[in-house]
Amino acid sequence: MRHGGEGRSRLLLIVLIVSALFLITLDLRGVGVLEGARQGTQTILSPFQRAGSVVITPFKNFFSDVTHLGRTRNQIEKLRTDNAKLRATLLNRKNADAQLLQLKSILNLAGTAGYKVVNARVISQGSSQSFSQTITIDAGTSAGIKKNMTVVAENGIAGVVKEVYSQTSLIMLATDPAFKIGVRIAGTQQIGILSGRGSRSASLQLLDNQTTVKVGDVLLSRGSVANRPFVPGVPVGYVTAVDNSAGAIAQSATVHLYTNFATLGVVAIVVAASTVNPGDALIPQKPQPTPIPTVTIYVTPSPSPTK
Amino acid sequence: MITRQLSISAPIFILIYGVQEVIVNQFRLPGGGFSIFFIFALVWAILSTPDVAAFSGFASGFLMDLSPTSSGPIGQWTLIMVASSYVISFLGSGNENVKGNPVGVTLFISSAVFLTETLFVISGVLLGVQTGSFGQVLLTICGFSLWTLVITPICLPVFSLLHDIALDTRSKI
Repeated sequence: MRHGGEGRSRLLLIVLIVSALFLITLDLRGVGVLEGARQGTQTILSPFQRAGSVVITPFKNFFSDVTHLGRTRNQIEKLRTDNAKLRATLLNRKNADAQLLQLKSILNLAGTAGYKVVNARVISQGSSQSFSQTITIDAGTSAGIKKNMTVVAENGIAGVVKEVYSQTSLIMLATDPAFKIGVRIAGTQQIGILSGRGSRSASLQLLDNQTTVKVGDVLLSRGSVANRPFVPGVPVGYVTAVDNSAGAIAQSATVHLYTNFATLGVVAIVVAASTVNPGDALIPQKPQPTPIPTVTIYVTPSPSPTK
Repeated sequence: MITRQLSISAPIFILIYGVQEVIVNQFRLPGGGFSIFFIFALVWAILSTPDVAAFSGFASGFLMDLSPTSSGPIGQWTLIMVASSYVISFLGSGNENVKGNPVGVTLFISSAVFLTETLFVISGVLLGVQTGSFGQVLLTICGFSLWTLVITPICLPVFSLLHDIALDTRSKI
């Protein structure tokens, strides 16, 4: 009896494992039904994600504040001095203002380059369970978005459209380990390939062993054929460290990406690029240091006291 | 009997999957965050017999594969979850130190999350899925396991109750 039960159990396990392997084979061979299943899931989930995004935003802000407590301590101290009414108003408008600010920066960037863009709100962050870095936005094919379009944020590149559905799109962020983009160094025009590393720091591999890169060099996207997946001239990041290993064929470097992926609220998808390459026009301006006023004090010695 | 169990279990799995995709995925938590559906599937497996665990692992793995944010081919999570669910149910069955003790279940689930994610990375490498640098992967796996250690005790009574209702096994912890 026991042997019969164990045999049935093993048979079930084998059938399930074979079924899973069958699914993997079908997917790797590009059978459309399975890809359609994933698309169908996203189509079903998107209205709920949209509603969830609206409901959860206050909680997200709360968690964001908690996780950034150390960094925002000074800001919190300052806010404490404000009156309760002002704080409540500020809290309600905080999210909208942040998104507006991001949107303004994105439109400035797109306007300077002459890009035609579609703006979209981030409605879901992808789970890191599968080690991918993705977001879902609330615009899809109905807004003119297609697969492999450039996605920009307020300061530079955010990622690329990985999947597109009727009302939503899945964006592969520039931090995703599978993300790769051809870049050129502003000014010197040297070219290389930038790869995501799962965090805001990415790695750059130069293609020519005769060229050199130095800390502080700004990287811009090189652009692709017919501007897909990448339009030219989008700021990507700046070099923070250079690897000068003796055995390396060409130089490599660590790059800090301009986009802050932790606070992405609004992004823009470039649906049509300008006919003219914007060149280095989109490089973000370095922050200007606030001048420190010099105060000169003249001291007039008092007459010496007389006894 | 099986029809009744399936008709109760399926909506529960879909509901928890919906909670994961619609609510939990909205938060970008430090260390990669957690997956409530993943924890649920493993808790379900540890409370079930190996047969049921393998079947529920197949269903939960397939749902995880259907997630648009999943990076691997469809079937990868299915394969991993069938194996993991069967193994943890097999190891847990008859071991009251694990099955009858909430602390034991929590530690067991956290370890299972660590090993399952590691298995996913290894199988991903074999299938050509890019998962990032070693340090980043290690950070995500450790973060996931630690989050699981925190979240499991909170969710365990609810998951155990749902399991009891669906399969009528009286395995409440």
